[in-house]
Amino acid sequence: MSVDMTAQQTSPRLATARDYVELLKPRIMMLVVFTALAGLVAAVSLSGQGVNPVLATVAILAVALGSGAAGAINMWYDADIDAVMTRTSTRPIPSGAVPKDEALAMGLIMSGVSVLLMWIAANVLAAGLLALSIVYYGWFYTMVLKRRTAQNIVIGGAAGAFPPVIGWAVVTGTTPLDAWILFAIIFFWTPPHFWALSLVAHKEYKKAGVPMLPVTNGAKATRLQILIYTILLAPIGLSPLVTGLGGIVYGVIGAILTVGFMYHAGKVWRSKAGEPDAGDAERKIAMSMFAFSILYLFGLFAALIIEHGFGLYFPLGGL
Amino acid sequence: MTEQMQAETADAAAIRQAQKRRNAWLAFALVAFVVIVGVSTALRIQQTDFSGGDRLYFSGYMDEAASEKADREAQKRIAERQAAEAAAAAEASDE
Repeated sequence: MSVDMTAQQTSPRLATARDYVELLKPRIMMLVVFTALAGLVAAVSLSGQGVNPVLATVAILAVALGSGAAGAINMWYDADIDAVMTRTSTRPIPSGAVPKDEALAMGLIMSGVSVLLMWIAANVLAAGLLALSIVYYGWFYTMVLKRRTAQNIVIGGAAGAFPPVIGWAVVTGTTPLDAWILFAIIFFWTPPHFWALSLVAHKEYKKAGVPMLPVTNGAKATRLQILIYTILLAPIGLSPLVTGLGGIVYGVIGAILTVGFMYHAGKVWRSKAGEPDAGDAERKIAMSMFAFSILYLFGLFAALIIEHGFGLYFPLGGL
Repeated sequence: MTEQMQAETADAAAIRQAQKRRNAWLAFALVAFVVIVGVSTALRIQQTDFSGGDRLYFSGYMDEAASEKADREAQKRIAERQAAEAAAAAEASDE
């Protein structure tokens, strides 16, 4: 796999505040904050331990900063391949708005600040987990996995799975089984979510030399892997009902979303999405799966927040 | 003044303006950081019982055994103090 290393920043333009916000990958940041909040709210409800609302807010802010820092480091390192791909060529570094060194400095400073804030507001375990997640995404996924293996998304998915565990650790200073169930949900959700997108953008990844699964193993293998991971995800997504982490609200929302996710995965598996002769209809099927996967994760974690944050937790039993 | 010179002046003004905006945001971020650290530290100090062996920042419950030992010692100290106070009170009433 070769990358066009000649791709350089285009002629510089004045950076706006929007460029700096974009450098922090705000969409990923929102999901990270949301899942961390769900972990925090569930921990308060189930452990019975209180947390000062101001300190909890600072802890969530630290998670957001940490996510942004990892995003900035990722954009710094991936500036060469971002410039090659149409989808990412308008990002702040390849578009010439933000110098590479500045993005790196911003990422490193924000990493330190976020871990420090987490330590001050919560505890050393939460701060350590935040530091680990930043290093996992900013270094292990971005610099080690992404350009080397087709399993980049599978292994790298752990980076995005840490926030609910961090949220839990903020409250209790521990990481019990329920926290790791939330971790597992995001971990097994990431491959089908990302591969659905890569079925549409595989030509771009090929052009940039990124070994995404559709590039290395073909569209058919990718569609099968999407189905397998979705089948694996289904029981994990519903496992909070067994441990008592999720109640009736989670059960209802989780069951509907699981059926929907399986339906979309089956549709993608039967389609020709990602094939050279695939048309707009196949592209739509893959993008529908991608969009639904976001709804799935959002729905599950929203159910937890509704149950534990708004007094609607009616357990179905649990361990 | 030529058109090129006018354009360069306008560019320089725009760059200065952008730098000013950036400096203002940096200043805001620094002040926000100081305020957040200050408020968080004050809240942590407020809710920490130092007499019981609590630690302000190393409070991650990473070392459960040490934490429990500190709690036991604190309870022992409280019990001893209460016993001494009770004894002093009993002595005073006897007199």
